[in-house]
Amino acid sequence: MGLLWFFRMKEYEFIEHTADIGIRVYGKSLEDLFKNAANALFDIILDYPSKQLKQKQITLGADTVEDLFVIWLNELISCFFADKFLPADYSIKIEDSSQRKQLRASLCGQDFDPYENKINTEVKAATYHNVKIEKSEKGYKVEVIFDV
Amino acid sequence: MWHGPLEKITDYKFRIPKSYQPGMRVDGIIYADEKLLQGIKKDKAPQQVANVAFLPGIVNNSFAMPDIHWGYGFPIGGVAATDPDNGGVISPGGVGFDINCGIRLVKTNLEEKDVKDRVTNLINSLYQKIPSGVGSKGELRISKEEEKRLLVNGAGWAVRKGLGVDADLEFCAEGGAIDGADPDSVSDRAYERGKHQAGTLGSGNHFVEVQVIENIFDREAAEKLGLFIGQITVMIHTGSRGFGYQVCDDYVRIMVQCLSKYGINLPDRQLACAPINSPEAKRYIGAMRAAANYAWANRQVLTHRVRESFERVFDKSWQTLGMDLIYDVAHNIAKFEKHVVNGKEKMLCIHRKGATRAFGPGHPDLPLKYQEIGQPVIIPGDMGTASYLLLGTEQAKETFYSTCHGAGRVKSRHEALRTVNLETLITELNNKGIQVRATGKKTIVEEAPSAYKNIDDVVDVVHKAGLSKKVCRIRPLCVLKG
Repeated sequence: MGLLWFFRMKEYEFIEHTADIGIRVYGKSLEDLFKNAANALFDIILDYPSKQLKQKQITLGADTVEDLFVIWLNELISCFFADKFLPADYSIKIEDSSQRKQLRASLCGQDFDPYENKINTEVKAATYHNVKIEKSEKGYKVEVIFDV
Repeated sequence: MWHGPLEKITDYKFRIPKSYQPGMRVDGIIYADEKLLQGIKKDKAPQQVANVAFLPGIVNNSFAMPDIHWGYGFPIGGVAATDPDNGGVISPGGVGFDINCGIRLVKTNLEEKDVKDRVTNLINSLYQKIPSGVGSKGELRISKEEEKRLLVNGAGWAVRKGLGVDADLEFCAEGGAIDGADPDSVSDRAYERGKHQAGTLGSGNHFVEVQVIENIFDREAAEKLGLFIGQITVMIHTGSRGFGYQVCDDYVRIMVQCLSKYGINLPDRQLACAPINSPEAKRYIGAMRAAANYAWANRQVLTHRVRESFERVFDKSWQTLGMDLIYDVAHNIAKFEKHVVNGKEKMLCIHRKGATRAFGPGHPDLPLKYQEIGQPVIIPGDMGTASYLLLGTEQAKETFYSTCHGAGRVKSRHEALRTVNLETLITELNNKGIQVRATGKKTIVEEAPSAYKNIDDVVDVVHKAGLSKKVCRIRPLCVLKG
């Protein structure tokens, strides 16, 4: 068990940024990267293990994968604060070979009222600053700053 | 770390020439002194000043105030005017996510000796009356139709509900509501978020602060404003809450698509924009104005709650306590204003992102009472130091009548949480005679005075640069944070 933990890829870590919160996210694949970023986002927002009680479908499009990444995170923020839905797990499909990048995701989670329950951080938005998805033999990596 | 050029124009003005980077249409100008400049060079904010200079239709310069620090697209403390007649654009990044984050100053006829033994009661009463904290929910229950009325009428909506008086509108910028708000340009999601948060303080750097005037620099102006040494005042700092954040997010998404549609090349996607005369920009302007009005309504509701708290503690009506509004002004907004450019009057779009409008004496948009002295400029400092009241000047026309907005952060929230001890901080504040209450203890640490620049240094620069002149320095007695 200890060795497994040692070799398991880190999902994300915090990075320093004046005024707001920054993270560096890792993933074995693009879909994994997007999923880990989503997990990081909700780790920042609250301490609450969501249950898989219902599903929500999301379809997004953008000109670049980086734009898609930022829009994905902002869509999740809107889902949480406007639609009052807290995801627990994600099934993501990204189509990035054509000019217009597409994301189709099925979110599994529960209804959650952020105005009636305790949350830690009211994240305003994910920003475009320095968002650059890098691919290496180890996998994918990206940094993103959240405006809080 | 900034390694680019910073040419000294005066002791308080430094230039980034447009030759620094191909694509810059105008020079960048940073208002600072040598001391503040050392800190400014440590983050990438000067690069953002240079980036803003790329905006199509930008007029004169890309400006930055002495409280400048790194932001999204625009630096915090950034000012840029664009000309709609010259392909000028509007950029949501030049307004910020917290549309019409702003501040108001309310006076009282109380002196420090009147409140000395009741500060704890006061802060407790404020804490009970004012919904605050992360994700805080308001007590007002409003339908979507009612919310639409709020978005058009702003502070006037709250006054009509009995949460203020007409005089509150007279001393609020734009009369408490900017014309041209378009509720139909606002998404359902923004309505949903706005429904829950009308009349709430929020968290982060938002606050309600009870204060005492400790220095007066301009006796004549202070008299005209009804201010005196030892007087108790209240500042309220908040914005458009989740409503504004959603509007900004909705339109940044649209504007990013506009970059290729309108052939706009920018070094930072967060500067995403559209020509002012485009349909996308017109919808954003309508939605942004709606969010601005939401914030004015919010600050009006909070003013009412503050007045109720004082009434409860002092057992007198707020009118007897003299709790009149001095002024309310935004520091995250884009406004269409007439300015003279090369001898010709033009209607320009002025982006002020973490910067405050500072009209000089005689400006037609000022209340009659302030025509002679100029527009009150309210500059909040950190909770352990002081805040200031200044007045706009004629000289500020060089920045389209813009000045600083606060102290500006120097430490990240993360660094503050790592290096500041809550108990030690509370003790230090208590030793200065300052009580703080917050829904979230984390917020207190994140907002520690050491996380901010020295407000005295920042205000000194705008005063010496002639952008606004000091009236009084105001020290905190008790602070409500989210």
